[in-house]
Amino acid sequence: MVQSIFYGLFVLLTLGTALYVALGQNLIRAAFALFFSLTGIAGLYVLLGGDFIAMIQLMVYAGGIAVLLTFGAMLTHDVEDPNDSNPLFNGFLSFVSGIGFFSLIFYVLTETTWPQKSTQFIEPTTNTIGKLLLTDYLLPFEVISFLLLIAMVGAVYFVEKGDRT
Amino acid sequence: MTLDSLLAVSAALFALGTVMFLSRKNSIAILMGIELIMNAAALNFVAFGYYSPSRHNLLDGQVFALFIIMVAVAEAVVALGIAIAVYKEYNHVQADRLNQLEG
Repeated sequence: MVQSIFYGLFVLLTLGTALYVALGQNLIRAAFALFFSLTGIAGLYVLLGGDFIAMIQLMVYAGGIAVLLTFGAMLTHDVEDPNDSNPLFNGFLSFVSGIGFFSLIFYVLTETTWPQKSTQFIEPTTNTIGKLLLTDYLLPFEVISFLLLIAMVGAVYFVEKGDRT
Repeated sequence: MTLDSLLAVSAALFALGTVMFLSRKNSIAILMGIELIMNAAALNFVAFGYYSPSRHNLLDGQVFALFIIMVAVAEAVVALGIAIAVYKEYNHVQADRLNQLEG
């Protein structure tokens, strides 16, 4: 019962703010709405038994990427004219095609019967995820760390290059 | 809270991200659409991992979601760096006006 209430609350938070992100005209407000949408997804992760992944979602996505996108929006668009910075072109057409796309996926996933287990249990996951990352998924883990290093160097290089020209 | 409703939420997020990706001109807004799409994929992984009938490796879905988040971080940082470099060069980030190579 309590789980259903929180589930509805988080779904409402996620989808309502995601709707504003997709359809709103003000870019700064869209960035803040994106923050709340990512927070709602972290809540859904908690309900799905992923405590560690929810914390990572909060720290990296809501705390990192959303703030980074807000900074990007403030640094690159015309601050004096916030209403004109993010126009929605072909609004009706894209809305109709989005509804059609969603109905197609929804039809497929309701027509499919997924194999499910009957009892779900929730226990702390950090220990197991740490063991998995250092045994089964060791190679992807190292590749990802190298990718992050390259991404950091590349970002600094791009910003510097734009400055020099 | 059922698997079908979670997949519907994820599909709605994916559709919203796709609409945003297709209908915006501002590069930063397109990036936000990509973030929504990646979140939809990660939510699908965690939901399938939670409802999976498999008895061993229960947390594979969450590990995959973790990798998706890390790749999204790398992508967002590099794409924002490119956006700022483009803004310094052209004074705008409107994707439909960026049509020159070696400009």
